[in-house]
Amino acid sequence: MTNDTSGSSRRRFLALGGATAAGSLAGCAGLFSSENNQVGISLSDFRGSGPLVDSRGQPDGTSIADLPDLEGSLTVYLGGGEGGLYVELLDLFEQAYDNFSVSHRLDSSSSLANSIIGESEAGATEADLFMSVDAGSLGAVANAGATQSLPSEALNAVPGSFQDGDGRWVGFAGRARAIPYNTNQLSPSDIPNKVSEFPNTAALEGTMGWAPSYGAFQSFITAMRLNKSDDAARSWLNAMQDHGVTEYGNEFAVSNSAANGELAAGFANHYYSLRVKSARQNAPLDLYFTEGDAGSLVNVSGLEILSGTEKSELAGNFVRHVLSAEAQEFFATRAFAYPMIGGVQPVGGLPRIDDLNPPDIDLTELADVSGTVDLMRETGVL
Amino acid sequence: MGARDRLDRLRERANIANRDADEPTALAAVVLAISLLLLSPIAWVLLEASEMPTGRLVELVLSETTTTVTVNTLLLVAAVTVLSILIGVPLALLTVQTDLPFKRFWTVTAALPLVVPSYIGAFAFVSAFGPRGELADLLAPLGIQSIPTIYGLHGTILVLTLFTYPYVFLTTRASLISFDGTVVEAARSLNASRWDAFKRVTLPQILPGIAAGALLVALYALSDFGTPAIMRYDVFTRMIFVEEQARNLDAAAVLSLLLLVLAMAILAVESRVGAGRDGAYVSSGDRRPGEIQLGYWKLPAMGFCALIATLCLALPIGILGLWLVRSADATQAGFVFGAQHVINSVTLAAAAAGLCVVVALPIAYLSARGDGTLSSLPERVSYVGYAVPGVVIGLSLIYLALRFVPFLYQSLFVLVFAYVVRFLPQAVGTTESSVLQVDPSYIEAARSLGYGPITAFRKVVLPLVAPGIAAGAALVFLTTMKELPATLLLRPVGFETIVTYIWLVRGAAYQGQAAIPALILVGVSGLSMLIILRQES
Repeated sequence: MTNDTSGSSRRRFLALGGATAAGSLAGCAGLFSSENNQVGISLSDFRGSGPLVDSRGQPDGTSIADLPDLEGSLTVYLGGGEGGLYVELLDLFEQAYDNFSVSHRLDSSSSLANSIIGESEAGATEADLFMSVDAGSLGAVANAGATQSLPSEALNAVPGSFQDGDGRWVGFAGRARAIPYNTNQLSPSDIPNKVSEFPNTAALEGTMGWAPSYGAFQSFITAMRLNKSDDAARSWLNAMQDHGVTEYGNEFAVSNSAANGELAAGFANHYYSLRVKSARQNAPLDLYFTEGDAGSLVNVSGLEILSGTEKSELAGNFVRHVLSAEAQEFFATRAFAYPMIGGVQPVGGLPRIDDLNPPDIDLTELADVSGTVDLMRETGVL
Repeated sequence: MGARDRLDRLRERANIANRDADEPTALAAVVLAISLLLLSPIAWVLLEASEMPTGRLVELVLSETTTTVTVNTLLLVAAVTVLSILIGVPLALLTVQTDLPFKRFWTVTAALPLVVPSYIGAFAFVSAFGPRGELADLLAPLGIQSIPTIYGLHGTILVLTLFTYPYVFLTTRASLISFDGTVVEAARSLNASRWDAFKRVTLPQILPGIAAGALLVALYALSDFGTPAIMRYDVFTRMIFVEEQARNLDAAAVLSLLLLVLAMAILAVESRVGAGRDGAYVSSGDRRPGEIQLGYWKLPAMGFCALIATLCLALPIGILGLWLVRSADATQAGFVFGAQHVINSVTLAAAAAGLCVVVALPIAYLSARGDGTLSSLPERVSYVGYAVPGVVIGLSLIYLALRFVPFLYQSLFVLVFAYVVRFLPQAVGTTESSVLQVDPSYIEAARSLGYGPITAFRKVVLPLVAPGIAAGAALVFLTTMKELPATLLLRPVGFETIVTYIWLVRGAAYQGQAAIPALILVGVSGLSMLIILRQES
């Protein structure tokens, strides 16, 4: 689909905030229709609010209005779900269509992946889709043979590095590993552009924080193992511990502590800092991105269709909805995530995803968390 | 009397003798079946652990981290148990046997902390005493920049003790209430000092109660994940959690087995303490001993009660209130909390409590009345599930349900069964200590009056053990209301409870929205506690 047509569909979508043209659109009469005084939903329902979101341009890409209606019922296993944010997206889809309902089960990605693999082995798959914040969990389910292929429209919308090489899962929202730092204590020039240099940097001695039991941190270490070697990761963990690093339970706490000045810097996903900034605009907190190493890993939340489902078509259409301009705007403005389609920009002056310099890693290989945990346990980090 | 009559009499007696012989066998068979079911989750743990290659297994078991968490866990368990006894037993004595003013009130405040989930207690303590917490904010203007950290071993001990000591309080109290006070008076009249009378008469009688409560505390401390995680103290459960999240199920299973070894060691210790049970049924009844006059000790005693109540109740509820007030103008996540969450929680908890009581009775009865170690084995077995972290029970039941009862997978049956596996010993413990206090001669008397074993049990034993059963039901109800990890894994799609809602909004960092559900949770559980305390007296 060219930019032109998607542009026009976008305008059409916006025009449909009123009820006038609804009937003239074949295939989407259910959506935004004024029949039965149904209110319908508009872009603003998907979009977040607040200082980071105001004065954004219109998103580009395939609009929901251009997609076939969602009709029927689906069961989705939601892994992580960004604190329930994904549930809100499901609610929005339900509001948009009269005859669509979706039930979900929310738990940690790993637990759900374990469940899905167990269900699949027993031939008793409960869910139609697995929507997870963790590519590793998606990979584990795919490697267990519990998925089926995704529609090509969905795969074509997303850059190759953010989907499975065999098309078994596709990313729908990205997050970058980053170094949140306190701007009163550090300037960007104090921070080396490779994490491997951190243990040798005096400015970072005894002032950094991490959350080693958090999955994203473990993915970062897995990336380091893949990008370099197990030995490199082991000596980096040891060196960081010798350098002095404080342990936290999660990366929001790490980012918040950097904003408070308890830490000078930390290891965290990029969006935690945006959450801090969204609540406290003047917090002395900024993000630093390393280059070409595990420290700048871009990981994705993704979706896969489970092999046990009898609703492949509906599930495929659902995936396309999650990759629509509106849903992508939702992830960008509410989760502060990196959108996966070109037409939607990240918020908060973040570098564009193309400007980041992530390591060259197959995200599915991040599934090997177990080796990472062994290694982290060996070094006493866990 | 005709010959025929005599024959009838003889036949009757023979029947009674026959039934007496059958009765323990039938009971034992039922109890054996229950025990096997209760142990079924362990089968998965063994199966999963056996899949680990020997090399990795040895490396894991001998790793430095394993040693560290073992030591950490043992330290935590020992400290929490001892402190719980030091708080729970005095509180029970004060509220049952002394002239403490406002006894009813202090009884309620001493029991209620159990309804506060320890993870909410931990959040409250971190909010209050953590870095940048309420206390730090209060002190900052006074020039005090930093306060001693709440994190680590001492914080974990503090929080776990404050929210689990009521186990000891309740079981000790139940023993004190159903024990015959006139024996103490007899001892006193024989010139025994008050302390001697306590040591030689009261203590042996309430020791099974104290031991039962202490065992629950110790195993809770062993299997709790939330509190040590929040208080940043490395224990077994956290290591198991990390492995589970990394989808290293084999390693999680091996670590669970190590945890079970610790649990069995604790059970063995408690068996030795509880072994001096022979003196337990001297005589019992509901005649209370004369109240101990506190005199000058009234004020310090009330101060002690008030201090505990402030830390365990006023503080967490106050912090929840603060969250609520502060969240009034904050952004709200789009999750609606409704009556359905409460109904779901209460239904599950009631089902678990009802089932536990029914299952606990034969186990407790066999253990208390049977002779030899074999008959108390099932009682010991019932504690095993309690020592296993909820997440392990959850994983195990997913596996077993999918394999053997796929039609029950993701049904509430499996969830309720998980609660029974985890919380049954709470009902067994309280029931057993009441059964122990029933003088066996009462039953013999009933049988000699021609009642059958079941009727004798119903008419004589049941009324006497009712307080123990009720306390057990209340404990199971409360803990089920609070249970999170197994609930998350096993709840059917779309079925949400109060705790899964709290977990959801906490995960989203909208802690203000957790306040009302948490207060409702505490309120509902608190009501059940009040009903129980009322039934006791």
